[in-house]
Parts: sequence; structure tokens; C-alpha cells
Amino acid sequence: MKLTFSPEDEAFRNQIAGWLRNNLVGEFAELKFRGGPGDEHMFPEERKRWEQKLAEGGWTCVGWPEAYGGRGLSIEQQVIFFEEYARAGAPGRMGHIGEGLAGPTIIAFGSEAQKEKYLPGIVAGTELWCQGYSEPNAGSDLANVQTRASLEDGKWRIHGQKVWTSLAHESDWCFVIARTEPGSKAHKGLGFFLVSMHQPGVTVRPIEQLTGTSEFNEVFFDGAVAEDIVGAPGEGWAVAMGLLGFERGVSTLGQQMQFQNELDEIIRLARANGAARNPGIRQRIAEAHTGLRLMRYNAMRMLSSSQDGQADSSALVYKLHWASWHRNLGALAMDVLGPEAELIDDAPYELSRLQSLFLFTRSDTIYGGTNQIQRNIIAERGLGMPKEPKGR
Amino acid sequence: MDFTFNEDQLAFREAISRFLAAELPPEVLRKNWETEDGCSRELHRKMVEQGLTGLSVPEAQGGLEMDDTAWVLLTPLLGYYAIADSVVDTAYTATGLLSALPEGDHRREELLTGIAGGDVGVAVAHQVNPLVVDMDLADVVLVEFEGEIHALNQEAVSYECNTSIDSSRRLGRISVQPAPESRLLENGRDIWAETLNRGAVGVAGQALGLAQRMLDMSVEYASQRQQFGKPVGSFQAVKHHLADVAEKIEFAKPVLYRAAHALANNERGSDLYSSHAKLACCEAAWLAARHGIQVYGAMGYTWEADLQIFMKRAWALDSYWGDRAFHKSRVAEAVLADDALIGPQHTFEE
Ligand SMILES: Cc1cc2nc3c(=O)[nH]c(=O)nc-3n(C[C@H](O)[C@H](O)[C@H](O)COP(=O)(O)OP(=O)(O)OC[C@H]3O[C@@H](n4cnc5c(N)ncnc54)[C@H](O)[C@@H]3O)c2cc1C
Repeated sequence: MKLTFSPEDEAFRNQIAGWLRNNLVGEFAELKFRGGPGDEHMFPEERKRWEQKLAEGGWTCVGWPEAYGGRGLSIEQQVIFFEEYARAGAPGRMGHIGEGLAGPTIIAFGSEAQKEKYLPGIVAGTELWCQGYSEPNAGSDLANVQTRASLEDGKWRIHGQKVWTSLAHESDWCFVIARTEPGSKAHKGLGFFLVSMHQPGVTVRPIEQLTGTSEFNEVFFDGAVAEDIVGAPGEGWAVAMGLLGFERGVSTLGQQMQFQNELDEIIRLARANGAARNPGIRQRIAEAHTGLRLMRYNAMRMLSSSQDGQADSSALVYKLHWASWHRNLGALAMDVLGPEAELIDDAPYELSRLQSLFLFTRSDTIYGGTNQIQRNIIAERGLGMPKEPKGR
Repeated sequence: MDFTFNEDQLAFREAISRFLAAELPPEVLRKNWETEDGCSRELHRKMVEQGLTGLSVPEAQGGLEMDDTAWVLLTPLLGYYAIADSVVDTAYTATGLLSALPEGDHRREELLTGIAGGDVGVAVAHQVNPLVVDMDLADVVLVEFEGEIHALNQEAVSYECNTSIDSSRRLGRISVQPAPESRLLENGRDIWAETLNRGAVGVAGQALGLAQRMLDMSVEYASQRQQFGKPVGSFQAVKHHLADVAEKIEFAKPVLYRAAHALANNERGSDLYSSHAKLACCEAAWLAARHGIQVYGAMGYTWEADLQIFMKRAWALDSYWGDRAFHKSRVAEAVLADDALIGPQHTFEE
């Protein structure tokens, strides 16, 4: 166990902090603390440019191996990077799906040619990705995807519909799970495809969220060409699941720093408006603080036991914990605001940061595997308990 | 102790329930959101015809003179159909206040007659609510000023109007200059205290109805949405979520009734009972929203799903007429008071 940072690490901290100080200015100054949960729809063009700015400084994909254009940072330095990023109030990353999910999956499962083709755009912050997993009839039951991929004149073509696809309207690429073997069922007969969003045969329709904004979409594929398949046809499930492992990897650190910023804002507000004198609120703030610490230490333990950035089985509990914690934080924010919590900034439906936080956190326990599904996984995979009877 | 309602009360509820079911499908609520006021004046007219606004107005002023126990059957219905605030605020809370004023005051009589006839909308500005609801719809605002009760015409009040996360609600931050001419009563402290309780009980009833609506919608959704080849409602995790909501709702009902009974009979424990009711009913609504959206999955996070209409209203009402912290500390103060009666001999005293 080693819980301190070395002098080199501290020097690194100065380096990234200085870079952010010097670059989060000018056209990027207005992006400070923007683009986080519930605010993803804000400043898309500016934030895309910010991705490229980060890339120029070498600050995208910092945990990737240098061979693939990353910075090859140690876990400690990645922690520092995320800390400083959050401390500076640097904006929510538009490139996180490529950097955190698509890239690591291509590195782990893709061919050399695929790595050469896709990784540079992610590193340069010029190509954004979205995740085409869920379908109208495949939510929790992801293995029920019906989207088809068929080989037509030597090309894979995709037919079907995805739904809830975050940032599809801003993305250049989508990784899509589709059925390569007609009539196959469940996990068998699937493929993991890389599909350009800029082609005929791809239609993106925004879905309005209860926040009044649109961050996710319906995506229709009508014979769109998939440029690549990662892994063999029929073996897409293993790739798709491998990808979900990265979701619980180092990218969670950045998320925690974001959480810390939110909690800090709530604490500041509670002090300012007197809510901090209320014993009930005080206890919940203390609980929130404790919950975040648990998360942090657990993440560090999880990461130090698997240096490749992919989480081990102790990560099973992680999503359930943070999602429930964050949902409670949203409620705490509203209670700290008190009777003013419902007040909308501006017509027609301009939400304040904390209102967005509250509404957005209602979805944390749903996306990326609902709380119920997480508990099933913990019980069945973690504890080895008998599986629940299922329809099929 | 008798928790049953009389036939008149039940018949009235039945009639209103049929009326609202016919008039207020969710599409209509959404259409109303688009309007300036967030609610429909025409619907308001129809509610007046149903006798809703005159329910508590004294017979002498053309009303039905029903008390709080009649309202606890109605406020859940108004919540169930997400009726905008002006109805309860005017016909229940403000009417209660005005009725409590000494008889003979011509302005009291005038206002009550106007309320019964549906011609006058009244907003109530009580300290506990930093924002006044539906200022824009009100003709008159009742204002607390150092324990006095003032009635001001809307034009005499300057306010800034905002919307709520519940798009049917309009919130006003007001500034008023009460004058001797606007004063209805010099020492209005007791009436204000009672009004606070009535406001809280009115919200509690609506919260209970909202909870029931969200539960009904969630049950329906979970019974029809299929995953893993069967309805998601067949999974225990989902069922238990909704069973927990049902439990909260059922246990909140008699608490609400108890509070109304206390108000109707001017009981000393009204503060405590109305805080109980507000807490229990809002907790049910809060849980119904939390579990409702969970059971709906991503669909519950959309603008399109009607669940949001009721969730947002439940969230907005949560801190109206006293937030949780306020009501919890009132309960704590009552229970922990030096002269509080504790021990089994007092458990079923009231
Ligand atoms: C904000 C947001 C962003 C999203 N972004 C993306 C994205 O970018 N890409 C993508 O592919 N998807 C995305 N999703 C979709 C997300 O992954 C799904 O919503 C999630 O998997 C749940 O599926 P569902 O919504 O269909 O709910 P359902 O599966 O219909 O579930 C409904 C309810 O039933 C419960 N349930 C279902 N099965 C069981 C069971 N076996 N046992 C117990 N309970 C069960 C669930 O827990 C839930 O409470 C996003 C969702 C949201 C809300």
C-alpha cells in the first residue's frame, strides 16, 4: 500500500495545473464547470474545439499506452490529472465515449489496421463516438438486440434501430451490436461493428428528456455500411462485455472529481442560505461526504489491483454505489435549496445547474445497467447465488 | 374514532372524480403548459359549475359550507389529475382564512361570495412560502404583515413572475406595502397559524393523489413492458418497489384524515397533525416518483412519458407550505417539549 504521491508526481501536478490555467482562457473561459451531468447539451461546438485543444497539449487519452498515442500515465498520475482537471473546472468531455470505451476496446480486441485507423482520431479529439447498444426491446435485456448485420457484396450492412443513444447527434462514429446470424438468440450470433454516422442510411432523431433538452437519440440504420467488425462475426458479445469493463475503469476517477465539485457547490450553498444549520441537512452532507470517500478509496484499490485499467470483479459493486449516491446528492441539492428549488431561471425551461443535477441524477440508476440489474449481477456473479428464473 | 365519510361527501367526490377523468387527460395538461398561465381558465369555469369553489364558503355567501374533512377527499383527486394550484389555494386555503374572520366585515363577505361564484381568485402570501403561487391568476392576495391580515388587489402588488419545474405552476416574488385600508384584521396570528396548517394539509392531499397516480401509471407500465420475455413487473425487484409505494400511500391516508379532522374541529394538536400529514403524504409522493421513474427505465426520463407531469408536480409541492425540515422540526418540538405527554397511557389519547 502506498498512499502518497512522489516528488515526480507532484511535479506532474504542477505541469497539468499550469497547462489548464494557461489554456482555459479566451474562448474556453466560458466552458468552466459546464457540460457536466445534465448539462451535456451545452456549448457542443466550443467543447469540440476544447477536445482538440486538449489533444494539442497531449492531454487526451492520458492513460493509453504511448504506442497508441496516449501518455502512458501511471495510475497515480491519472488520478492527479483528473483531480486537476476537476479543480480547474474544465468542461465535461465530449470525447469520453471514444476515449473511455471505444478506444480501449479497439486496443484490446481490434486488429492492427483498426488501431491505426481509429485511434488517432480519438487521440486528436477530432472524432467523437457514441454507443449503439440499447434498442426498443433490448434495454436491461441487452442480449435481445434485433438489429441485423448482413454481408452484402463483401460489406457489412446494418439494418435496425437503436435508442437512447447519447450524443449520437454530435458523433462521427457509433459502435453497434448487431446480429450477424439470422435467427440466432441471446448472446450468440452477435457482432461488434464500427459504423460511420456520416452516411446515407443513418438517421438520428433526438429524444426530448424530462429536462426539456436532448442528449440522447433514436438512431435508425437502413443499410448503413459498417466499415469494420471488431472480433469475429458471432463473437460480438464478448467484445461488448469487455467494453463495459472499461466503463468501470479509470474514467470513474474523473467522474468522482466531478461529484466532488457538485458536493462542494451544495456545501457552499448550504452555508450561504442557512440550510447548513439544519441538523437533518448537516447529517446528509456528512453522509454524502463519506459516500464519496468510500467511492474514491474503492476506486483506487480497484485500479491498483489491475494496472491495465480494466476493473476486476470487486468492481461489480461500483456502479450501484455511485449511482445511488449521486441520486441522493441530487435530492440533497433540492432540499438545500428549499422552497426555491422549483424556481426556473428563465422561460421556457432554463434549468439551473442544481436543478439539472437533480433531474439528471434520476437517470443515474437507470443507464449503464439499472440498480436492479446491478444487484442481480452482484448476487449472481459476485455471490454465486442461483439465477432468477427468466422467461427464456 | 371514526374514519368513515358521510354520503354527501362521498357522492361529491364521485361526481368530481368523473368530471376530472373526462376533462383532464394528460394531453390537456400539456396543452395548458403552453399557455401564459400554465392552466386553463375554461377548465376553471367548469370547476366552478361543479361547485368546487364554493365547497367551503359559508352558506350565507352562497357556498356549501363543508369543512376540511370534505376537502381531504377532494385534494387527492385534484392531485391525481394534477390540477393547478389556484383551485386549492383559493377554494380551500384562502376560503378557510376568510371564513375565520369575524362575520360582518363587508370585504370578507364580498370576497367569499366572489369565490363561491368563481369570480374571484385569491392567492395567499404566508411567510413560510417565499414565493407566492399563481399571483398572476389571483384578483386578490392575502398578505401577512406582522401578524396582521391584509387583502390587496393584485394591481397593488408588484411582483416578478417565474415558472416552476412543474410547468403548471407560476411563482411570484412579491413586494407589497400594506396600508391601513388593506387591513382585514389586526391580530391575525391565530388565523395565520391555522392557515399554515390548512395549506399544508391541502398540499398533503394533493401529494397523496399524485402518489396514487404515479403508482397506477407505474403498475400499468411494468405490467406491459417486456424484457427477458416477460413483463418487468413480474420481477420481484420491480414489484417490491411498487409495493413499498402502496404501503406508504395507505399509511398516509388516515394521517391526512386525522389532520383534517383536527382542523375542522379547531383542535389544539393541529400543528402536529398537519405536519404529520404533510410529511407522510409527501414522502409517499416522493417515493412514488423515485420508484416510478426507476420502473419506467429510460422511458421515464423522457418528456414524452406522462409520468414526468406528476413527478415534477410532486417535487414542486414537496416544499410548498413548509418543507420537510420545517415540518420535521415542528414534530420534534412537539414531541420533545418539556410538557409533552409520553407513555403508553397517552398513545391512543387523540
Ligand atoms: C440518460 C441515459 C443515457 C443513455 N445512453 C445510452 C447510450 O448512449 N447507449 C445505449 O446503448 N444506451 C443508453 N441508455 C439506455 C440504458 O442503457 C437503458 O435505459 C438501460 O439499460 C435500461 O433499459 P430500459 O430503459 O429499456 O429499461 P427496462 O429494461 O425496460 O427496465 C424497466 C425496469 O425493469 C427493471 N428490470 C428489467 N429487467 C429486470 C430483471 N431481470 N430483474 C429485475 N428488474 C428488472 C429495470 O431495473 C427497470 O427498473 C441510456 C439511458 C439513459 C437514461
